[in-house]
Amino acid sequence: MNTELIGALVKLRYKLMWARTRTRNGKIALFFAGYLLLVFFMVIFSLGGIGAGIAAVRMGRAHTVAAGVLGGLYFQALMATVLMGFGISAAFADVELRRYPVRAWDRRIARHLLGLADPFWFLVVALELGLAVGLYALGPGSIWLGLIAVLLLFVSNYAMAEVVVLVVERLVQRKGGSAVLLVCIMCLGVLPAAAGPAMRKHPQLLAPLLRVLHYTPPYGAASAMLRPGMEAFYGLAVIVWWLLGLSALLVALERHPPQARTAQAGALSWQGPCERVGALFGPANAPLVAQWLRFYSRNNRFRTVYPLAVPLVAFLAFTQAQVAGPKGQFANILGCFALTGFIGTAQFAVNQFGYMGGGFRRYFLLPTDPAALLRTGSYTFLMLSAALIPVATIVVAVFSPIRLDARMLAMLVGAAVTALFVMHGVALWATLLGPRRGNFKASFGNDLSLAGNVVFIGGMLILLFVPRLLAHIWPAAVAPEMWWAVVPMAPLAAAFYFVSLRNACDVFRARREAILSVIEGRT
Amino acid sequence: MDAIRISNLVKKYGTVLAVENLSLQVRKGIMFGFLGPNGSGKSTTIGCLTGLLDPTAGEVEILGERFDAESAALKRRMGVMPETLGLFDPLYAHEFLAFVARMFGLDEAVTRQRVTELLDALELTDRSKTLGDFSTGMRKRVAFAAAVIHSPDVLFLDEPFESIDPAGVALMKQWLRRFTEQGRTVFITSHVLETVERLCEEVAIITKPGKLVWQGDITVLARDGAISYDGMEFEALEPLFLHLTGERYTDLNWL
Repeated sequence: MNTELIGALVKLRYKLMWARTRTRNGKIALFFAGYLLLVFFMVIFSLGGIGAGIAAVRMGRAHTVAAGVLGGLYFQALMATVLMGFGISAAFADVELRRYPVRAWDRRIARHLLGLADPFWFLVVALELGLAVGLYALGPGSIWLGLIAVLLLFVSNYAMAEVVVLVVERLVQRKGGSAVLLVCIMCLGVLPAAAGPAMRKHPQLLAPLLRVLHYTPPYGAASAMLRPGMEAFYGLAVIVWWLLGLSALLVALERHPPQARTAQAGALSWQGPCERVGALFGPANAPLVAQWLRFYSRNNRFRTVYPLAVPLVAFLAFTQAQVAGPKGQFANILGCFALTGFIGTAQFAVNQFGYMGGGFRRYFLLPTDPAALLRTGSYTFLMLSAALIPVATIVVAVFSPIRLDARMLAMLVGAAVTALFVMHGVALWATLLGPRRGNFKASFGNDLSLAGNVVFIGGMLILLFVPRLLAHIWPAAVAPEMWWAVVPMAPLAAAFYFVSLRNACDVFRARREAILSVIEGRT
Repeated sequence: MDAIRISNLVKKYGTVLAVENLSLQVRKGIMFGFLGPNGSGKSTTIGCLTGLLDPTAGEVEILGERFDAESAALKRRMGVMPETLGLFDPLYAHEFLAFVARMFGLDEAVTRQRVTELLDALELTDRSKTLGDFSTGMRKRVAFAAAVIHSPDVLFLDEPFESIDPAGVALMKQWLRRFTEQGRTVFITSHVLETVERLCEEVAIITKPGKLVWQGDITVLARDGAISYDGMEFEALEPLFLHLTGERYTDLNWL
């Protein structure tokens, strides 16, 4: 193994990061603010972990609680990587590293070392380390075995995320793969709703199910942290086996990249589906809307994320309704359902031009107002998100864990429409003020700027939690009797969107050169 | 009437001066070569002439009308092949050309005919490849087709012949000659001075930062055998270019 060159490649990533940062004083300040924030969150997460560890020991069920916390964290990290793209954005593609005199194995190690060094994983490790320390402080475990368990657990979590992402990527690139993925996700979405009653009906199934969990990495880590003697080593062995298996799978998947689908181009169509939808926006906007649709219909990320939106909303609605008390169930469903208006297109709406590459330049050579590009792009994402609302309404109405009457359905639709306009209005500003060059071909990874992430993640958290907050401080506001409130809310949100759009068009004309240089990778 | 008139054009990127007070005129119906060393501001000037960039100061007139980024009517009469090509990688060539044609106001029948003819002539008929899968030379041909599909009055070509095979270059040159014979104008940048010498009637040479150092008729080379400048005779464009922009020679003894 060429450790010197691997080290040089790892250093190169940080040199490049610093080179991009040092171009402006503001960026340097932001970089250090972000760095301090990361350290702050790591400390908070570590303290949270320590607290959880101490509480687990005091409850007298240290092992069960530790396994639950580690399992939850493992699953959450997996979801955050797959759905939000954290922690798996490759700093360098293998093909970029081929220009250096390093062998295939060295390139692989360098790539994954860089992946493991992503700040997202630091937060995961901080929490897990905190838990290990907390359990050691009051429990019977060994700190050294605990530290080894945390290290192995976090690497296995990373390997699992990479494997899941590669499998989903392959699936999406196969003919009919998106449909298969959709069915899988819908099954996952319905599983929590179906599992509860099934377990209550057949309690004898619970014990074998729990036994299976003993062979999972989080359970193994909990054993390594708390169990004495051989049991601790057995826990470590479980994680090591998983890690070896996942690593072998990862290498096999990387060695056999998917064959790109070579579809034969169809005949020149003047009235294809994209053109027909584009025509809904009038003759001036039609070709540009059709172009946006055609462009994004070939984007792997879009083809992965957009179909997942409804199953994900359904999944969240089921799970969140079940964790709430009887009075909070509808508020939780309301928050989850509001996501429908944004979640399917959020990553693109906050960075409209990010995936265009050199094509972005072409728009300014066309005989049209430059702002028409921003306008038609935003209309396209608005329309695509709006199309999800009726589908999600039917799915949630059919599978809801609580009975939804007409007033409740009106509230759900109203919340989604309000979120649709408000979030797409805010997303315009992220597109203009925080553009970022993205990788068109990637299905996963977080390509967004800080501003993009703030709107994307912050927006979704706000949508999720505002109804819950209202349910606590003003329960009447989310009660079905208040269904009429959605009638003025949706038009107000639409007005906000159109005012934002008009102002954003002016800003776009002024900022287009700066955005062009970001999208073309010059700054 | 001049096809292109640039008056005191200045372009700054922050504090960096990219084009300094550039003024030049291009007659209608000629092939005009715009030359300069790397980083001298050629692409920036073309950006200002085509609406891609906003000049910091100065004026641009195209076909007798003042031009800026929002002059849609004038843009309909201009064709541009930018240096970075401006292609949409996931699209097929015919889809891309149809989109461009539609944006320039061509109707369905004309678009179908021109797309088919251009793709056939430029040997871009492989329908299993998107633009992202094309070779550099093929991508250049697509960008050239997009620049001419609406039969513009003024054509801006930034390094059009780089990476294209000799047969493709010969075809493009033939089209460009016919283009100017019809009274239309071609504004071309290239580092291949022999090509410019054979193709263009007039040439402007700029140096960093976008400063005009020479503009003149180069048909005198064929007619008189030399260009006179600064009391010297230059028998080709290359020695004149090197004289104006500074000849460099550094010996690397390890190479």
